Amino acid sequence: MVSSDTLTLVLVFGTLYIAMGVFAFYSVHRIRKNLEDRERDAKHRLYEIAILKEIADRTGYSLNIEKILDVITGSLNQLLEYSAVSYMLLKPSKIIFKTDLQRSVSPEFIKDVKTRMLSSLSALLGRDMGGVAVEESITGAITLDDIKEPILSSFNIPLVIGDQLVGVLTVSHTKAGLYKENEMEILYKIVNQASQAMTRLEDVIKTEQGKVAAMLESMVEGVIMTDREYRVVAANPAAKEIISYKKNTPPTVFDFIEGLKSVLDVQGKLEEAIKLDKTIVVKEVQAAGKYYQVIISPVKASTTSIKGQILGGAIIFHDISPEKEAEKMRNDFTSMMVHELRSPLGNIKKIGELLKSSKILENKQEASEYASMLYLSSSSMLDLVNDLLDVAKLEAGKLDMDRKPGRPADTLREIVAFFDTKARDATIALKLFIAPDSPETITFDAKRVSQVLKNLLSNAIHYTPKGGTVTVASFLHKSGSSITSEAQALNIPWIGDQMTTDGAQVPDSIVIVVSDTGTGIEAEHIEQLFNKFAQFATSSRQMDHDGTGLGLVIVKGIVEAHGGTIDIGSTVGKGSTFYFTLPLLTK
Amino acid sequence: MTKKILVVDDDKIFSKILRDGLADGGDGKYEILAAFDGEEGFETAEKERPDLILLDLVMPKMGGIETLKKIRGEEWGKDIPVIVETQLSDIESMGEGVALGVRGYLVKADYSLEDILRQIEEILK
Repeated sequence: MVSSDTLTLVLVFGTLYIAMGVFAFYSVHRIRKNLEDRERDAKHRLYEIAILKEIADRTGYSLNIEKILDVITGSLNQLLEYSAVSYMLLKPSKIIFKTDLQRSVSPEFIKDVKTRMLSSLSALLGRDMGGVAVEESITGAITLDDIKEPILSSFNIPLVIGDQLVGVLTVSHTKAGLYKENEMEILYKIVNQASQAMTRLEDVIKTEQGKVAAMLESMVEGVIMTDREYRVVAANPAAKEIISYKKNTPPTVFDFIEGLKSVLDVQGKLEEAIKLDKTIVVKEVQAAGKYYQVIISPVKASTTSIKGQILGGAIIFHDISPEKEAEKMRNDFTSMMVHELRSPLGNIKKIGELLKSSKILENKQEASEYASMLYLSSSSMLDLVNDLLDVAKLEAGKLDMDRKPGRPADTLREIVAFFDTKARDATIALKLFIAPDSPETITFDAKRVSQVLKNLLSNAIHYTPKGGTVTVASFLHKSGSSITSEAQALNIPWIGDQMTTDGAQVPDSIVIVVSDTGTGIEAEHIEQLFNKFAQFATSSRQMDHDGTGLGLVIVKGIVEAHGGTIDIGSTVGKGSTFYFTLPLLTK
Repeated sequence: MTKKILVVDDDKIFSKILRDGLADGGDGKYEILAAFDGEEGFETAEKERPDLILLDLVMPKMGGIETLKKIRGEEWGKDIPVIVETQLSDIESMGEGVALGVRGYLVKADYSLEDILRQIEEILK
């Protein structure tokens, strides 16, 4: 017999077993459900990620929000259930409204979507968008009048790029209670991802544009860039300066057409460059007081997908004014030279004519005057031709010095004696001072140094008024000392203003000075003294002077060929000091 | 009666040849005066009241055009006939000369004495 105790035990164990079984069943079930949930979640995540990736891939690096939204709305049905997905985009003068229908709805449905979206935009912007023109388009399923189902579920997502609201995206359905947190989260993610990508892209582009703009800004060349419709995309300050553009707003192509109308056919050249795909060079355009070489060329895309496609045109203005200036100087030089040669030659010819036809030769005094006129005219021509030859040799580096040991003091005395009469005629005191320490012998080309001295002295006498003094002096310079101090210690008349060298670097040398109490030279003219073109023009045009103006150019060449230096000091109204050095040790 | 002709030119040789040529070719009809810069030219014109002036354009102190303007500014100088001596490169100044009533031009490097004499005779007739 089974005892009641046993039965009780069996019951207890049985119950326990069942309870355990039930417990186990539920545990397993719960675990399985958890696992299943997780798996579904994971699948969903993966799917979500896959869709997000696909959308990201398809939108690519596009900055076209419309295209991006089309991609998003086109792929959305894989994630969500809806009747219609719509977006509205704010444009300067209108709103673009696009709807993609998954299933047919009534026109009222769409109208309602539109009204809801507009009021949502108005709320977001804080102003009424009811009056703005809406450009509407519907794709997907067709609308049917007899469907009466209204919107029962919908939600909006604002579209923000950077910090700006650009539109709104709406998903709507005829079924009620559809969109919960989960669905909304997915869509937020997608839209967010797209708008973040666009914001980043815009930032990158802004930075790049900033770099390009900064580069354009700092360019010396004037640069204008246009698109294919000749709208100005960029114009740097140098370009604006060419048309004297002062306004704060960016210039348009018409500003350039108008500003350059008499000198350059901006529109025509741009058309030619863009349509015929060729680079046009206009050699010389004069604008705003300058000369420009203008290059008009098509601008082509360099990215692979549209490589070679013409995007617009560029006009580049290269300032060639300095070259033109140099060319003008050369031309002036040539015409002055011709003039300088023609004048004495014309005189010589006329003298010949007169001597032949008139009775001048019968008068002895007249005849001798004519003889000296012939002499002067031919000498001045010869001087000029010689100077030109010297300058040509100088420039070719072939002005050779015939250097021999000699006594510089002898040369100085000789030249001073030569100018004695001239100075006395002009009532100018001509003084010579040879310092006790002045080197007795140096190695130099006495003839060439005489030429230097003649030039300096003839200038000094010429520019010194009556009663003035011209001093010629020589002394020893020691390397490391200031030439000015050395001269002043010897009481040599010295005008140090505007001198460019101190002389400390100059090796042991003899210093030869020509100092006058003349009219002086203005600072800006001192620079030009050794410029062959500038010199020639001023001296023969404005000054009553025998010299060719090339003298100082040659003087400098001779001094430098000796390894010496030349410098000028001058004060207007007080006088000028010219000095040059000849080194004691020759290389 | 002799007519006074003033030659204003800083090129002494050119001036001398021109003056001798005019004196010679004019057969004593002309009294030739000389000045060697613009200032001197104006002063001489004011003092001597010449019947005709031969005026160089490029001169020190005062250029030809400036001298001419100054002469034209005086009552006595309003109608004095002027022939301008010019280099071919001075063509820019010619327009200004026309405005100042210049009667003729003499190209310095290569002129014909006969031409100048004929021009002078024509003007002084």
